[in-house]
Amino acid sequence: MVEVPKLPWRRPGGWWLRNRRYMLFQLREVGGVLSAVYGVLLLVLLSQYQAGPDAYASFLAWMRSPPVLVPTAILFAFVLVHALSWFVLIGKTQAVMSAGRAPPPRTVIGLMVGLFAVVSIAVVYLVFGGP
Amino acid sequence: MAEKIVAFRVKRYRPESGKAPFYQEYRIPVRDDTVVLDGLNYIKDHVDPTLTFRWSCRMGICGSCGMDVNGAPRLTCGTFVKDVDRGGVTVDPLTGFDVIKDLVVDFEPFLRHFLHVKPWIVRETNKPLSEGEYLQTPEEMEAYHQQSLCINCMLCYAACPVFQGNAKFVGPAALALALRYSRDTRDEGLDERLGRLSTRDGIWACTFVGECSVVCPKAVDPAGAIQSLKVLASIRHMRRLLLPKSARR
Amino acid sequence: MDRTTYDIVVVGGGAAGLRAAIAAAETDPALSIGLVSKVYPMRSHTVSAEGGTAAVMRSYDKFDLHCFDTIKGSDYLADQDAVEFFVSKCPEEIIQLDHWGCPWSRDPEGRVLQRAFGGMSVKRTVFAADKVGFHILHTLFQTSMKYEAIRRLDEWFVTDIIVEDGKAAGVVAMDIRRGELNYITSKAVILATGGAGRVYEFTTNGFIKTGDGMALAYRAGVPLKDMEFVQFHPTCLPGTGILITEAARGEGGYLINKDGERFLKNYVPAKMELGPRDILSRAELTEIRAGRGFQGPHGDYVGLDLRHLGEKTIDERLPMVRELAEKYVGLDPIREPIPVRPGQHYFMGGVATNVRGETTLPGLYAVGETACVSINGANRLGSNSLSECLVFGTSTGMAAAAYAKKRGWPRGGASREALKKEEARIFDGLLKHEGGAETVAAIRREMQQLMERDVGIFREAKGLADACASIAKLRERFARVTVADKERVYNTEFVAALELDFMLDVAQAIAYAALSRRESRGAHSRTDFPNRDDVNYLKHTLVTRTDGVPKVDYVPVTITKWAPAERKY
Repeated sequence: MVEVPKLPWRRPGGWWLRNRRYMLFQLREVGGVLSAVYGVLLLVLLSQYQAGPDAYASFLAWMRSPPVLVPTAILFAFVLVHALSWFVLIGKTQAVMSAGRAPPPRTVIGLMVGLFAVVSIAVVYLVFGGP
Repeated sequence: MAEKIVAFRVKRYRPESGKAPFYQEYRIPVRDDTVVLDGLNYIKDHVDPTLTFRWSCRMGICGSCGMDVNGAPRLTCGTFVKDVDRGGVTVDPLTGFDVIKDLVVDFEPFLRHFLHVKPWIVRETNKPLSEGEYLQTPEEMEAYHQQSLCINCMLCYAACPVFQGNAKFVGPAALALALRYSRDTRDEGLDERLGRLSTRDGIWACTFVGECSVVCPKAVDPAGAIQSLKVLASIRHMRRLLLPKSARR
Repeated sequence: MDRTTYDIVVVGGGAAGLRAAIAAAETDPALSIGLVSKVYPMRSHTVSAEGGTAAVMRSYDKFDLHCFDTIKGSDYLADQDAVEFFVSKCPEEIIQLDHWGCPWSRDPEGRVLQRAFGGMSVKRTVFAADKVGFHILHTLFQTSMKYEAIRRLDEWFVTDIIVEDGKAAGVVAMDIRRGELNYITSKAVILATGGAGRVYEFTTNGFIKTGDGMALAYRAGVPLKDMEFVQFHPTCLPGTGILITEAARGEGGYLINKDGERFLKNYVPAKMELGPRDILSRAELTEIRAGRGFQGPHGDYVGLDLRHLGEKTIDERLPMVRELAEKYVGLDPIREPIPVRPGQHYFMGGVATNVRGETTLPGLYAVGETACVSINGANRLGSNSLSECLVFGTSTGMAAAAYAKKRGWPRGGASREALKKEEARIFDGLLKHEGGAETVAAIRREMQQLMERDVGIFREAKGLADACASIAKLRERFARVTVADKERVYNTEFVAALELDFMLDVAQAIAYAALSRRESRGAHSRTDFPNRDDVNYLKHTLVTRTDGVPKVDYVPVTITKWAPAERKY
């Protein structure tokens, strides 16, 4: 019995460079790890806050210094991408989950982004401007 | 209708030649309503009879003619040359599968995965035919109808980076059909299917890239279907954990 | 290949073949069934059927009425006992498919819905949106996977039927992927390979419809029945030939000429757009020839107007029609009429069988479009074909199973002989042939063009005689064909050559049958003999292969309750 010489498939190394959506997917996934880093940063912030006004002030000063600010801004960008992509996924999934009976994905995503914005503004107000 | 000449770069693989795969270029006349499949047939009938590819219905329902066009998985019978002509059209065999010859790939892995999800009505007993049809309202049919439209064209497998890296992944189409049957009111197989598919190479291999749903020519939304299965599997898991007696009922 | 023996071999994996395989498996689970198909079964052309499948399901309908509609639709050439059997078995097939998961369209209470269809007196066409063939095929294919008794040989091409001691004893088939010829020994062979639309140039049929089973039976000495009756479907997209379902008219669509008039009032005033397909196709062609058609880049056409149905009805009942029109014609049927013209669609004729699929060769069966029982006579009503595949798929599967159970195994000598002969014929004789100037594509194109021109909707003696002669010449040229692709592995050019070989046989049978029938009946329309002649031709044509010109015989039609009458709609 002759075995037919097939050309075996192998996934190429840079597969995610192939199109925009694959790229976004990788950024989203990497964003997951970076969100964890961001989370650690927030925990440190909280612990410094608890340690007293001096410790907190010096920590904030450190955070504001350019060598720290730039990477933090990048981390923040990834967290935003990750969060927004999460909303998009929920939007896509719930359509199938509810067998099309719920509002269209766009509406759901819009609602979640809106809620995210409201909560974010509230937090920023509390932290920077509030009592 | 005006005619123009377009270059087709087609990936060739001649298994008995011992040679590596190569691109062959053909310059052929096309019109506004010429689809890529028409182009391939023109080449085979008038230029190079050795060019090998699958096709049949030419109306997007049999699922035979899936290939990579300019790097994206498409049904060539429904892809107009004028829409993909970027100084030429590149045609490759579908990503993710072993190539048998030229543009013909081996999708036996799909058929194995397909069998694994038990894509038929699973029931303990059937009522006799004399009692007529099972009643199923239009709303009940809506619950699974979208996933029933899968033509098994394999574009979703070609698009899925997980399947590209792991041929053991059950894959989008098979999982969409698992949901289709599980959601059919006539079926009783949800629990069994979840048991089979809540595994590392089953639904949990999926990382929701979502490209399968982007390329699906029939809007089956396999990505959404897999996430639905994940939710159902999670609920089943918790129920078995917390209420073992009722879960086994 | 490991397995070379099966109790039953089914050739073809469409609705008829799958239904027969399942029926055989259910009749006797101990039987082994080999399902041999040149394509993966979900690619079978059943998948493209759109409109629906007919059955008497409700109290407003009666078996006798379904019989009468079918018989009148057949222009009284259908065998009425077969029709009575057929009609009585349709409802249980619908229910069976429902039990197997087929997503029939439903009414609000959840019962199976039915729609109006051409030539049917009442709404008896069960449907699944406008993708009935797709849903039936996928339901049957997926259900067939449950049965361990059914083993599939996907992408295997049958080249010959093995005959031993005057009985079918298996098939010789090529594993397309390996390019290897094998023999498969069996006690029964069921041919379910569909029709042969690809002998024509403009057809709704997919590329794979090349009449393989018809030719295989023909070469085994089995007669082909009623081959001259070729159905042209009235609503095909110009250029591509893509089918626009009759359901579009069933839901209320109109056919209009360039003056915007519903011209069918001059041809079938009672039924209008729901008249039978043969009359409608001739009407359209007559309008076009009289200069009342629209003109387009792919020739003249008439309009299928769905605008008055409204977007909601179209999206619910005819979604694929809308998609096809938008994609392939670039218009939206809720705003503009769809251009349509008649195209080859279905073969009423085929391998002569009885209601159990038995042919004149014991052990050889045929079912579906491949067969001619005959329930469709000279013209088939829309939505009877899928029902035909299901009903006779079941009866043939059961009959073959019963036969295989009591028959002894073939000795096997004939198989080895047949294999050697086929290897010489197709590899040495065809594949390796060098230096000929003929190509498969060129000969095929010429055959398709001549069939379209001379054996199309309107025929006459000279054209038919020319066709017979031309086909003989093409046969000679085929002997000198060179296949450029010399590889064994997955050689589609080689398979196309084998298919062309079959198609030339089928084309010959059609042309001779058409030449011999000097009357017009149903889809067979002779401009030189425009009337129906029940005195001489209330008979089925049988064409049998010889070494020279085929032999043409006639057998009477079986009449039970319905006396032939004038066929007016």
